Amino acid sequence: MPILDIHQVSLNFGGLKALQDVNLKIEEGSTHALIGPNGAGKSTLLNVLTGMLAPSDGSVMFDGKPLLDVQPHDINQLGIAKVFQTPAIFPEMTVLENVTIPVFAARDGAFRMNMFEGIDHQRPLIEFAEEQICELGLKDKMHTKADSLSRGDKRRLEMAICLAHKPRLLLLDEPTAGMARHETEQTIELLNGMKDGITKVIVEHDMNVVFSLAEKISVLAQGQIIAEGAPDEIKGHPKVIEAYLGEAQV
Amino acid sequence: MNTQQSFFERNRAVIIFAIIALLMPLWFPLIGGYQGLDTKIMIMCILVVGFDLLLGYTGYLSFGHAAFFGIAAYTTGIMLKDFSGQVIPAIVVAVVLSTLVSVVIGLLTLKRTGIYFSILTLAFAEMFHAMAMAMLQEWTGGENGLTGMMTPMLGSIKMQGAVVFYFSAIIAIVMFYLAKRIERSPVGLMMRAIKCNQTRLEYTGINARKYKLLTFIISAFYAAIAGALMVVYEPFVGHEFLGWHQSGEFVLMSVIGGVGTLVGPMLGAGFMLYFENVLSADIGEHWLLFLGIIFMAVVIFMPGGFMEAISRLQARFNNK
Repeated sequence: MPILDIHQVSLNFGGLKALQDVNLKIEEGSTHALIGPNGAGKSTLLNVLTGMLAPSDGSVMFDGKPLLDVQPHDINQLGIAKVFQTPAIFPEMTVLENVTIPVFAARDGAFRMNMFEGIDHQRPLIEFAEEQICELGLKDKMHTKADSLSRGDKRRLEMAICLAHKPRLLLLDEPTAGMARHETEQTIELLNGMKDGITKVIVEHDMNVVFSLAEKISVLAQGQIIAEGAPDEIKGHPKVIEAYLGEAQV
Repeated sequence: MNTQQSFFERNRAVIIFAIIALLMPLWFPLIGGYQGLDTKIMIMCILVVGFDLLLGYTGYLSFGHAAFFGIAAYTTGIMLKDFSGQVIPAIVVAVVLSTLVSVVIGLLTLKRTGIYFSILTLAFAEMFHAMAMAMLQEWTGGENGLTGMMTPMLGSIKMQGAVVFYFSAIIAIVMFYLAKRIERSPVGLMMRAIKCNQTRLEYTGINARKYKLLTFIISAFYAAIAGALMVVYEPFVGHEFLGWHQSGEFVLMSVIGGVGTLVGPMLGAGFMLYFENVLSADIGEHWLLFLGIIFMAVVIFMPGGFMEAISRLQARFNNK
């Protein structure tokens, strides 16, 4: 059974058909890339998965549970985490505090009223947050304010925030956009080195990144999936070439 | 949050505050303060500590906290006038009622952020002000205010002078301690995260809306306690208690002292009341002008308020 099952999803923005009858099955543990020209609906699809946008039609099942009409924080609690195009972190807080938040979110759920429990009395939880930070190579930055990290480190921190909640599905929206080459390579390494078992859906423009990460690729154009397959199949697919370069020259 | 500390280390700020507060009747007259003003300062300290949880931690600027202050004050006044002179039931009823009102207002106003939130809270407070002036005049005394209460009693002790001071000071110490506990708890962490990045917080599995509402209610609870104590301190409720001017004063106190520090707003409250009541005797009518200048200077040169000034001085000393 696929971990994520997107069935006949359509979404209209006024007259614009942002998504049209999108069907997509993501296998557990796989890395699946979504590519396509600008405006194809890739980010829109991710926003549907995280509860930001409600589709006009269709259904989305995650691990057998429906995702539509579920609020973003509840979707996260189900095990879906999102890495944003611009690293979304808590800039005014230290790296450790940043990662402590998801650790408590994992223990307490979306809301818990106990206001009088000291964080510093929860050693095991803080140690777990510290481990996550070390795993992503931010050990020396533990007590640095997140805002003053380099862009690459902010991306690592965001990953640490996402992973601390032990997600089953990680959505990545152009994780290497605006990065220098060595930072891009670091990110690829980071994603490849991630523990097995986490399913990844990655939206990316950089074909180098896509072909070094993805096991399967779906191509979106004008809100529809026009091709799907292994990287080698996609590379020479005539519909894909057409979507990117216009009418194929024969 | 890195190491386990002893009780004294962890509660240093509360212990220092407790010592300063409880000894206030001894040192306050030396700098020109008078009995009664110290009580008022304690009461305002309670209010701004709660207000800071909302403004300094979650970053939501309410221009309507006079509503919770005023509703509690009127309720206490009516209880003392028409039911009994006992302060405990009066305070409990007032605080419960005012906090319940805050649940409704919070649910409605927290749908918006930034300036829209501020304006909505202001609008609600003004609505209550208008009600006190007109519709509910029979109970509130309208323009003249609510007068004619029985002498407030705590059991068989008359609530006057030093008794009211110590009563308020002890409540202030307890409330400050509770705020410090909240600050160190996961809830405090979520409050600060709301100010930093609400979207990320939602995507980290946290129901930010509920935490915001919780913070709003806590801050209203603090304001309500202050409002109720104000009437115990001086058995009179004026319609100004509900006015926008009163809400503005809470904001001024917090900003001058330094938001997001809990201690800062208390310094701000003490400073403002001292300035208004003691120094203004020398300066005369122009004290508001001076206050305006001080406020501008703080916002322009020291956005962190008095607390920023203190930490800058500390840094300078440590360098030498």
